[in-house]
Amino acid sequence: MLLVVTYSRAARGTLRNVCRTHEGSVVRRFGRAALLAETEFAAFQALRLREKHGEDVQIERTRPFNEFETVDAEVREAARAYENRERSSVPYSSFAAGTDFPDPERLRERDLSR
Amino acid sequence: MSDAVTVRVGDERRRGHAVDCSDLSPAADRVVAAVRDETADRSDSAPLSVTCPTAGPVHDHVGLVSPSMTLRTRTALAAAARSRGVGTPVDDGLAAARAALADVQVPATPDLERARRRLAGTESAVDECRERVATLRGRIQARREDGRETTGLEGELTEATAELSEHETERAAAREALSMARREARASRDARERRRRLEDRLANLKRTARDHLVEAVRDRYAAAVTAAPGEARPADDGSPADADPFAVDDVTAALAVARVADVRAPVVLACDRFADPAAAAAWLDAPVIRVSPSA
Repeated sequence: MLLVVTYSRAARGTLRNVCRTHEGSVVRRFGRAALLAETEFAAFQALRLREKHGEDVQIERTRPFNEFETVDAEVREAARAYENRERSSVPYSSFAAGTDFPDPERLRERDLSR
Repeated sequence: MSDAVTVRVGDERRRGHAVDCSDLSPAADRVVAAVRDETADRSDSAPLSVTCPTAGPVHDHVGLVSPSMTLRTRTALAAAARSRGVGTPVDDGLAAARAALADVQVPATPDLERARRRLAGTESAVDECRERVATLRGRIQARREDGRETTGLEGELTEATAELSEHETERAAAREALSMARREARASRDARERRRRLEDRLANLKRTARDHLVEAVRDRYAAAVTAAPGEARPADDGSPADADPFAVDDVTAALAVARVADVRAPVVLACDRFADPAAAAAWLDAPVIRVSPSA
């Protein structure tokens, strides 16, 4: 999908109008940002916005997240276990220490698989 | 009179608190421009000039009253209240927000488009080269199996492999350049975001201030609407004028706002609500230049 983020009042206003006019291309709207469909028409609208407002418009491409193909099981299990921990005040680094759960440093260094 | 106005159209020079230029038919918008522009050419060679007190912000709203005007009445009325020295509880906040906004420095954005374009070119070059290498390998393999000579193709393969490695190096450099540009762009976007938030805050404060200012002079404005000469036609929605003083035609609203305001620069009247310019000046308590409505 296309993530369009605006950085000025004017650009936000135009984005709002575009979203209102082309509802079919909008996956989700946030205050000053929107997720647009993965179509050339949506890309056309996004580029039009940037043409008008320059660097006050940021366009990124996102993709659906599937945790079963993007991360190892240990990451999913660590997240589940940590959210179900008994003492809520324990930071994750302490929680993971001395267990099989990945330590946060290692997680930070590893990029997602494609 | 200290606030006397001098209007000169060609060789004709007229002076007073209420100046009638309707017989000279200068274009109303040119007269207003001459009133507002302090730097305008006032020498005799200029076709039209107005010498008068400096126009304040309220003049932008009601400095020209003509049948074709559109007025943002509440905004104009807020400016009128300001001209009378009315303050609001958010004035300090307004000043602070304006100052903070003026302080926002937005770092220049790196040329992201160029970086993207460069990377896009290298991606396709690598793909093409890789395909060529694969094709050559396949052809060499096939020739070998047939027991045919491969020297020429191997030379081509060496060349293509070297080219591929060049393109891969260029792609790595282009990727690095883009990711660096993206990191740099973050600082610029942070600043833009800060500026946008301040602008939002300023807009909110302005709205609050406007409501306050309008409230402060609402009664005087309503009285002026009632007292306004001519037929105060209700606005398009057909509501009676006395029910909502804001639901009146723009000329009536503008005259009422001008009457409420302390207007120093002459109001240019291109409407026929008053018997003569002197009556208009007296009613508005402001200097007046009368021009013909059609001009």
